[in-house]
Amino acid sequence: MTFDTALVVERLPQMLAATRLTLGVSLLAFVLAVLVGLVMAAGRRSRLVPARALSFVYVNVFRGAALYVLVIWLFNGLAVATGILLSALTVGVLALTLLNSAYLAEVFRAAISGVDHGQWEAGNAIGLSRWDVFRRVVAPQAARIAVPATGNHLVDALKDSSILAVIAVPELMFVTNGIAQTTFRPFELYVTAAGIYLAIVFVLSWGLRRLERRLGVSGTRPVAPVV
Amino acid sequence: MGPGEQAETVIDLRGIQKWFDDNHVLRGVDLTVTRGEHVCVFGPSGSGKSTLLRTINLLEEPQRGSVRILGVEYGPGVDGEVGRGRAPAKQLRQHVGMVFQQFNLFPHMTVLDNVAIALRRVRGVDRAEAEERAARQLRRVGLLQKVSAYPSQLSGGQQQRVAIARALVLDPDVMLFDEPTSALDPELVGEVLGAMRDLAETGMTMVVVTHEMGFAREIGDQNVFMDEGVIVEQGGREIYTDSREARTRDFIRAVL
Repeated sequence: MTFDTALVVERLPQMLAATRLTLGVSLLAFVLAVLVGLVMAAGRRSRLVPARALSFVYVNVFRGAALYVLVIWLFNGLAVATGILLSALTVGVLALTLLNSAYLAEVFRAAISGVDHGQWEAGNAIGLSRWDVFRRVVAPQAARIAVPATGNHLVDALKDSSILAVIAVPELMFVTNGIAQTTFRPFELYVTAAGIYLAIVFVLSWGLRRLERRLGVSGTRPVAPVV
Repeated sequence: MGPGEQAETVIDLRGIQKWFDDNHVLRGVDLTVTRGEHVCVFGPSGSGKSTLLRTINLLEEPQRGSVRILGVEYGPGVDGEVGRGRAPAKQLRQHVGMVFQQFNLFPHMTVLDNVAIALRRVRGVDRAEAEERAARQLRRVGLLQKVSAYPSQLSGGQQQRVAIARALVLDPDVMLFDEPTSALDPELVGEVLGAMRDLAETGMTMVVVTHEMGFAREIGDQNVFMDEGVIVEQGGREIYTDSREARTRDFIRAVL
């Protein structure tokens, strides 16, 4: 078997262009998932029963959803059920956001609970408002706990975006499928696609490790000392 | 203070009751603390002494009873007086400083920021002035050279002294100490007691929950022995040598 390098070189620009969409969709979904996840984590800790109930249901429904099923359902089923017709790209971002935000809500909730209760008490005792205690005292410490697991979800969102090929979002996997079917060289093309995903994950992991070190996450060489 | 002049009442607790589920921790406690007074609270573990201290700044909310600080009601009130307005806990904490057994410094902030944050966020003081005032409190506890250190770089005794400075920076009317030396290695106890002694000499009103009976005997104007959620006995320093109650005598004998 020969490896058709010329084909890869010829098609790489097309694949890299599709990679921009892969990055765009997954990063956008990740950012939205962090925001929604924070809101849902706050909901889980709220004093209001409806807020707690809502976030509980949200987390358990979307954490339980299979991404593939969610994507197909949002693309086909939602229109049948409600008449709402979403573009493939919207479905892609929405599905990745829903799934990852449910997981991240739990990551954030656990991280906030992981901060020693004495920190809340000390903040309260010096007269800080509830928001200031959270914002200035608890959140920075919770972030240290949450960053590694949150980073995993960034990597997941990137890799999971490949599933959007089934609804024809022209991201890397969809474009690779198309080229592979017309050139009959699946091996070269899927190896190249895998290499691109891997390279992005390497870069992301490197960035996350730097962030962890800056925040002084335990297990890394701290820049700012940690307890 | 001249004869006949009444010392100002800083803390006035009446009929304090607190329970966690079916564990009745405080069963009706009254305590009055006047300005400049040093109150030492002691008793076996589980006696409710820490919970009592924590109700003074509402870290524990009593189910019943009156928590009055400088004449302002913050508690649910005693029976028959319920329903009057209660001031918010945040206002109470402007007047009451607290030092914890486990220090509870903010690990992600420098020593200076630990002390300055309350001035900046609660009083709205600008950074330069807040840092200057924080530094003044740190000098007072002998830690000016540690302003840019992080808590994890300090010994337990130094951390507790920072915690004292953090509580002092808002110029509280009373300082609460919840077993401030219990988490310390024995050789570090002295420096914290020294800082507290200095504070007592400035006339600061203090309520101290402690097992350091020697220290209590030295500074305690009012000494309170608690057991099973009630005050068993309270009085001057004679309580340590000449207590009325057998339970007090037994406890003192056991810890000395």
